[in-house]
Amino acid sequence: MYSFTDDDIDRLSKLARIQITQDGKERLRGNLEKVVRYVEQLSEVPTENVPLCVHVNDKNQSVFRADEVEHDLTREAFLANAPDQVGGMIKTPPVIKFE
Amino acid sequence: MHTLSAFELNKKFLSGEVTAQAIAEHFLQRIKKYNDELGCFLAVFDNEVLQQAKALDEKKAKGEPLGKLAGVPIAIKDNIQFEGHKTTCGSKFLEDYVAPYTASCVSHLISEDALIMGKTNLDEFAMGSSSEHSAYFPVKNPWDLKRAPGGSSGGSAAAVAARLVPIALGSDTGGSIRQPASFTGTFGYKPTYGRVSRYGLVAFGSSFDVIGPFTNSAQDTSMVMEVLGRPCPHDGTSYQELPEPYLDHIDNSLQGKKIGVPWDFIESMEGESLQLFKQGLEVLKKLGCEIIDCKLPLLKHSIPVYYILSTAEASTNLARFDGIRYGTRSKEAQTLDEIYDLSKRDGFGAEVRQRIMLGTFVLSSEHQEVFYRKAQRVRTLIINEYKDAFKECDIIATPTAPNPAFELDSIKDPLKMYLQDLYTIGANLAGLPAISVPCGHFDGKLPCGIQFFGKQGDDAKILQFAHQFESEQTFEPSIPSRYA
Amino acid sequence: MNQYEAYELVIGLEVHVQLNTRTKLFSSAPNRFGDEPNMNIGIVDTGQPGALPVINKEAVNKAIMFGKAIDAEIPLYSRFDRKSYFYPDSPRNFQITQFDHPIVIGGKVVADVEGKSKTFQIHHAHLEDDAGMLKHFNSFAGIDYNRAGAPLIEIVSEPCMHSPKDASAYAMAVRAIMQYIGASECNMEEGQMRMDVNVSVRKKGETTFRPKAEIKNMNSFTFMEWAIEAEFVRQVQEYEKNPDKPFEEVIEQATLRFDIEKKKTVKMRSKEQAADYRYFPEPDIPPVVLTKEYIDEIGKNLPELPHERYSRYVEQLELGEYNASLLVNDKRLSDYFEEALKECDNGKAVCNWVTVEFVGRIKETGTHIADFGIPPQYIGELVTLIDKKTITGKIAKSVADDMVQHPNKSPSDIVKENPDYQPMSDTSAIEPLIDQVLSENPGSIEDYKNGKDKAYNYLVGQVMKLTRGKASPDVVKDLLSKKLG
Repeated sequence: MYSFTDDDIDRLSKLARIQITQDGKERLRGNLEKVVRYVEQLSEVPTENVPLCVHVNDKNQSVFRADEVEHDLTREAFLANAPDQVGGMIKTPPVIKFE
Repeated sequence: MHTLSAFELNKKFLSGEVTAQAIAEHFLQRIKKYNDELGCFLAVFDNEVLQQAKALDEKKAKGEPLGKLAGVPIAIKDNIQFEGHKTTCGSKFLEDYVAPYTASCVSHLISEDALIMGKTNLDEFAMGSSSEHSAYFPVKNPWDLKRAPGGSSGGSAAAVAARLVPIALGSDTGGSIRQPASFTGTFGYKPTYGRVSRYGLVAFGSSFDVIGPFTNSAQDTSMVMEVLGRPCPHDGTSYQELPEPYLDHIDNSLQGKKIGVPWDFIESMEGESLQLFKQGLEVLKKLGCEIIDCKLPLLKHSIPVYYILSTAEASTNLARFDGIRYGTRSKEAQTLDEIYDLSKRDGFGAEVRQRIMLGTFVLSSEHQEVFYRKAQRVRTLIINEYKDAFKECDIIATPTAPNPAFELDSIKDPLKMYLQDLYTIGANLAGLPAISVPCGHFDGKLPCGIQFFGKQGDDAKILQFAHQFESEQTFEPSIPSRYA
Repeated sequence: MNQYEAYELVIGLEVHVQLNTRTKLFSSAPNRFGDEPNMNIGIVDTGQPGALPVINKEAVNKAIMFGKAIDAEIPLYSRFDRKSYFYPDSPRNFQITQFDHPIVIGGKVVADVEGKSKTFQIHHAHLEDDAGMLKHFNSFAGIDYNRAGAPLIEIVSEPCMHSPKDASAYAMAVRAIMQYIGASECNMEEGQMRMDVNVSVRKKGETTFRPKAEIKNMNSFTFMEWAIEAEFVRQVQEYEKNPDKPFEEVIEQATLRFDIEKKKTVKMRSKEQAADYRYFPEPDIPPVVLTKEYIDEIGKNLPELPHERYSRYVEQLELGEYNASLLVNDKRLSDYFEEALKECDNGKAVCNWVTVEFVGRIKETGTHIADFGIPPQYIGELVTLIDKKTITGKIAKSVADDMVQHPNKSPSDIVKENPDYQPMSDTSAIEPLIDQVLSENPGSIEDYKNGKDKAYNYLVGQVMKLTRGKASPDVVKDLLSKKLG
C-alpha cells in the first residue's frame, strides 16, 4: 500500500515546479494516496511480454512534412501575449548561468 | 427557430425562408437571455457574428456558392484556439491569452460558412466531469439548474440542450463529451482517435484527446462530422484521408446487426439506470438487432489505466504553462524560480495541480515501470480485448453514465468523480468512436444516455446506429421545458 | 615512471550537429541563424497551446545519409520520446528526442590521428530539437526562440578514445562526413557543431570503467584537447591523493565546463540534483517506419565521402598523407582544389599552390580561400603556365601576388600585361649577361673548376638576378655549362 511522506510531496513539487501551500499539502497528500492506492490494482494484471501501447491509432502510418518554409506566427503576435518583453525578446529576471 | 435542427436551419436559409441575420439574431438573443443562469458561454461574439451573417446573406444574394454549414450557429469549447479571441481553457492562468492561430477543425467549419457564436465554459483544462471546476463560474444543467451538466464540456452540452445553439464542439479525453451528453439529453459524439485534427486543441492527454460535436440529432452530427473530419497536415496522429460521406449511410437498415453488451462489466449498475439501459436495448431489438453477451474482463481496470496515462501526458502537456512566454506570471515572483513555482500555484486550480502531481509521480524514474509502463501494457491488453470482442459483434452498447446528473457541489471525493467516467473511458483507451444517444429520463425528469462503441474507423456505422435509434424512438420531452 | 604514465584516458564524445534543413525539425519555421530575435518562430517552436510537432522528412533523410556514411544500422522502426526539464529556453519544458529507439545504431568513423589511421566505434545517433537562446544581462535575461526547434543530430561514440588527439581527429572526421553528405556546414563559430566530452581515467590494463566527468559545450578542437588534458591531470591527481577511497567518491560524476583563461575544468553550478528527465514515448508523433528500399536508395545516392576522397588523393593523385588530410578535413578547401584541378591535372603542383602559396598569401585577411574571390580555375591556369614553361616558377610567385591584389584577373592576362613577366628565352639576350657574370666572378670560375658545385649555383643565381628572374633556369644552366666547358 503506497504512502506519501512530506519529503515525497516536496520532491514532486520540485519536479513539477508547482509550489504547494502548507494547508494544500495535507489535502494533496490525502488525495494522491487515495488515487495511487486505487490504481495499484493494476499490479494484479499479468503483463509479461506485453508491449507498451505507444500509439493508439491503428493505422501506423508515418506522417511527415516537406522541408518548405511556412510562416505561422509573427514576432508581433508572439509578443502580444508576453508577460514582459525587451528588444524583441521575452524578458525574465536574471537567470543564474550554468557556471 | 431554436427547436429546428442544424440541418433544417441550413435548408431554410438556402431556400430563402430565413436569413442568416435572422438566425444569428435569434440565437444571440437566446444566449443573452439565458447565459447568466446557465453559465454556458465564457465569450460571445455578437458583433462579429452579425457581420458574418450579413456577409453570408450578401453572398447568397449574389448567387455565390455556399458552404455545407451555411447559416448554422456553432459554439466552440474554450480549449480550442480561434485566432484573435481568448482561449482561457476555463483557467485563470490564461485569462488574458489571445489565440494567435485557429484550430484546424474551426477553420474547416468557417470554410463551410458556419457562424461561430462564442466560446463555451468547461472544467479547467478539460479536467473534470462536472464543469464545476471552471475558474470563472460553474455551468448549470438546463434540466435542473441545481445540478451539474457533466463535464468537462458542460458549457457546450448545456448550450445545445437549452437550444442556445444547435451545434457545439467539445473535447473528449475520458468521456468529456459523452457523459455531459447523457446528463443533458443531447447527442454527444467522440469520433475515432485521429479522425478530427487536434491541431489547436489545448492538449490534456495527447493519446486520448478527441474533438467532437454536441447536437440534438444524429443527422446533425453526421452533417458536421463530414466537415470536422477533414484531413489536416498539422497533426501527425490524424487521418490523412477524407472522411466518408456520413449522411449517405445513416439511413441504412440495422436488420441483423449484432450488439455486444458487456454484462459482467455493468453488473454493478442497478435500479433505474439499468432499467433505462435495457429500455434502450429494446429499441435496438425493434430495429432488428440481436443482443449478445461480450466479455471485456479488463475493462474494470480502465479507470486506473486512464488516470495514470492521461495525467502523465498532462503533466508534460501543461508544463508549457510557466508564465514565461504567455499566461499569468505571478506578481509576487522576483526571481525566475519564483515565476515557475508561483505562476502555477496561483493560476491553476486544485484539481489541475493535483493531476499534474499525479502525472509527475507516475513518470518519475523510481515509479515509472510500476505505474506508467504497467498501465501502457494493460492498455495494449484492453485494446486487444476490444478487437476480439468486435469480431463477434458490430457495435458494443453500454450505458453512458452510472447515474443521472448529480447536484452541484455534491461530489467532493476526487476518486468518486473519476468513477463518473467508468463506462466512457474504454473508448478513449482504445481510440474507438463512441456516441451517447438520449434513451429516456430518470423518473421522467433527468435525461439518460445509451452509448454505442465501434471499431476504430467505424464512424459511419456508429452514426448510422444513432440515427436509426433516434428515428425509431424519440424520448419526450427532448427539450427542457424552461427552454422550449 | 611518473604518476601520469600509470593511467590511461578513456574518452567518449557526444557531438551535436545542427542540420542544414530549410525548416526546423518539427515545424515549418525557417531554420536560420543570425536574424533579429524571434523572427524565425512558429506556433510549435514557441510552445503555443494546441501546437503539434510534425517531422521534417528532410531531417530524417539526412540522418539516414549519415548512418549510411558511417556503415551503421538504420532500423526500420524508430520513435521519439519526451525529455522533461524546466528552463526558459525550452518552449514546452520538454525536449523531443529519441531515447529508446534512435534512428541510427552503431557505425564507425575512420580518422587519421597523427599519421596513423584509427577506427572509432559509434554507439548511436539520434534526432532531437534544439532549445532557444538565453541572453544574459545584468538585471534581466532575454530569450530568443529563433533556434528553438532547430534540428539536431546527436552522435554518441563508444568510450573508445584514449588521447586528446583521438578526440579531435574523431570530431574532425565527423565534421568532414557531415560536410560531405551536405547535412551541415558544421560552422563552429555559429554553434552548428558542439561537443560534450565524457572523460574518465583508469590504470593501464584495467578493463572496467571508473566514474566519468562530462565537459559540456565545447566548440573548438584546440580547447577541447586542452580541456581533456586538464581533466586527465585533475582526475589522476585525485586518485593519487586518495588511494584507498572508492572511485565514486574520488571523482564525482559531474558536469563541467572548461575555463579558457585558467585552462582548468570547472564544475558547473547545478540547478537541480540529478535531473529526472522522466523519458516516455512522444504520443504526438507516430513511429518512424521506413522500408529497406527507401534506406538503400539513400545509401546508393551518397556523394563521395571523406575517406573515399582521401584514398583518391593519396593513391591517384599521390599527394601524400599530410596534404590529403589537410584538404579532406576542410571540404570547402578540397572542393576549391577540385575545381582548380579541372583546369590542370598536375595534382601535386595545384595542391601546393592552393594550400601553401595562395592560402599563405591571404592568411592575414582571415578569409577562406574559397571566399576570397579568386576563381579556382585561375590557380589551375597558373600551374599550367609554369608547366608549359611559359613563365618560370619565380615569375609565377609574382603573378600570384598580383592575383591576390586583383582577384578577378586571370594569370594569362596578368602575364600578358606585364612586360617583366615575359619569359626570356631568347638565348642571344641571355648570353651577354652570362658573359658579364663570368667576367665579374673569376674566383667562382676557379672554384667551379676545382669541383665546388656551390660556385656553379652561385653563378646561375647571379645570371638570374640580372635577368630579373625572367630567364628559364634550365636555359641559363645550359648556356652557362657550355661556356664553362
